[in-house]
Amino acid sequence: MSELAIPPARGAADSSTPMLGGIPVSERKQARSENWRLIRRRPSFIIGSVIALFWTVCAILGERITPRSPIKPLYKVHQRPGAQFLFGTDKTGRDVLSRVMMGSRDILKVAPLAAVLSVILGVILGMIMGYFRGWVDLVLGRIVEAFLAIPVILLGFVAVVVLGRSNVVIISIVAMLFAPIVARTVRSAVLAERDLDYVTSAKLRGEGPLFIMFREILPNVMGPIIVELTIRIGYAVFTVATLTFIGAGPKPPSPDWGAQVSDNYALLQSRIWWSTLFPALAIASLVIAINLIADAVQSVLDA
Amino acid sequence: MGRFLLKRLLSAIVTLWLLATIVFVLVNVLPSNVGRQVLGGQAPEELVKAYNKKLGTDRPLLVQYGKAMKNLSTLSFGDSYKSGVAVRKIIGPAMVRSGKLAVLALLLTVPLAIAGGIYTARRQDKLADRAVVVAGLATSSTPEFVTAAILLSIFCVTWKVGKVFANPPPGASILTQLHYLIVPAVAMAIVYLGYIVRMARAGVIGALQTDYARTATMKGLPKGTVMRRHLLRNALAPTITVISAQIGYLFGSIVGVEIVFNYAGLGSVLRDAVGNKDIPILSGGVLAVGIVYMISTLAADLLIAFLNPRIRLESSR
Repeated sequence: MSELAIPPARGAADSSTPMLGGIPVSERKQARSENWRLIRRRPSFIIGSVIALFWTVCAILGERITPRSPIKPLYKVHQRPGAQFLFGTDKTGRDVLSRVMMGSRDILKVAPLAAVLSVILGVILGMIMGYFRGWVDLVLGRIVEAFLAIPVILLGFVAVVVLGRSNVVIISIVAMLFAPIVARTVRSAVLAERDLDYVTSAKLRGEGPLFIMFREILPNVMGPIIVELTIRIGYAVFTVATLTFIGAGPKPPSPDWGAQVSDNYALLQSRIWWSTLFPALAIASLVIAINLIADAVQSVLDA
Repeated sequence: MGRFLLKRLLSAIVTLWLLATIVFVLVNVLPSNVGRQVLGGQAPEELVKAYNKKLGTDRPLLVQYGKAMKNLSTLSFGDSYKSGVAVRKIIGPAMVRSGKLAVLALLLTVPLAIAGGIYTARRQDKLADRAVVVAGLATSSTPEFVTAAILLSIFCVTWKVGKVFANPPPGASILTQLHYLIVPAVAMAIVYLGYIVRMARAGVIGALQTDYARTATMKGLPKGTVMRRHLLRNALAPTITVISAQIGYLFGSIVGVEIVFNYAGLGSVLRDAVGNKDIPILSGGVLAVGIVYMISTLAADLLIAFLNPRIRLESSR
């Protein structure tokens, strides 16, 4: 634990060094690369990255590396997994292995994008709540709490009916529902900063609230924001997979994992387990990988 | 205590009103012709107009909003677009069935999670602790429908210990119902267990490091007594909050599990409502779950205030 990056004392450097948020830029850089080194060393980070990287490569290369076509039904239906078809074939005679390899494409586009969007919205919201306090905080806080009471999946149902099924709808819904959670974290981080000397001195210098919020305070609350981002990506994969499972995602014959499970689970009772189980395990491996990364990031940055 | 209760009740009502407003805005965000959507593209224009008039969806938004709020205050949620049956009559029984599944899942989760939290906290950073924490991370980050599909293939198809269709026959005894519901309940419990174990563990670890815990140990009290008499009620407060917050989510995430097991609860009702574009049922379902969430967080706050007098004194000041 002795290697832990300790944030340098505020205002320790003399006034000639470039300063941002009360900490010299060079020291901030050093602390950041130190943190990054600690994160990279964690076994959970290494395992998680390897799995996530594997699915990313599959998503990018897609049909160029799948053994057979993931879309075209070319083979005998319902073949058991074996030497010829490692994961078997599905009910229309498509190769399950190829479909599983392609199935990460949509979710890896949609989930991180939704998470990033929710963090951007949440940071703006939380920053305003924490910085201005007072009635702004009170009103926004109530709205945030109402959003927290909404079960994401149920609102997903409503959104599908009202707005139709598309990736844009999924991204907006997930971002909208996650932003209040991020806002709550950012708000409490900002509350701890807003009365520190560097904020007061920026105010005395005559800086506007926008400058203080995003140039002075923001760099100092980046730690919790990065932790929140990695956690949100994990939850976004979780939520997007569930939304595609209940039918909000891309239309067939897209090989999306959630869609594959929802297409095939009814066959389980006829003992045709492979067309459901392999995409299900693929979803599990991706969410677990991302959560392992998030756990590593969190244990270094929160310490 | 009375003032504390009143304050919490009022804030719950305000939150519920906001929730209803959010749902209303979402449903009406696009100019939509409900009659056209329900009756289909070929229906004659007069019929569509008459249908809209019957439903009241041709009236100004403000009037519709007023009606939605009135419905909320009487908990009636209006009538189904498709069948004309009162939404409450459709959602009520489905909520009861989902509730059974949720309660069973909670009964499995809570004791195991608390026991697991205490066990791991006392062996902090040892192998058993790390194993439980990592396993908990894995199970709690996997979507419920995935866990449900995996359990279904193992326990109901290969080993045949559970049922593929979770709907018990009408009038079944409690034991039979249990047999039908146990695998889906385990699927839900697995997801929550991982999360709540970590919460309970963190709570107990925090409490173990306090001065009063050290004092009690230094007095020479046996470990079990220290845990039961001094630590648990403080250590478990955050866990209770988390569990109650999860009850609302439990009803949300039950959807995937119910669909995989073909269980006729809220999830299946809502899925059918999606097919029929039956917005009153959908928004009624969201609000009903919102109410469950409010009640459970309220109950948790009261329980915590009961366990820890400091909280109720502070907040009634």
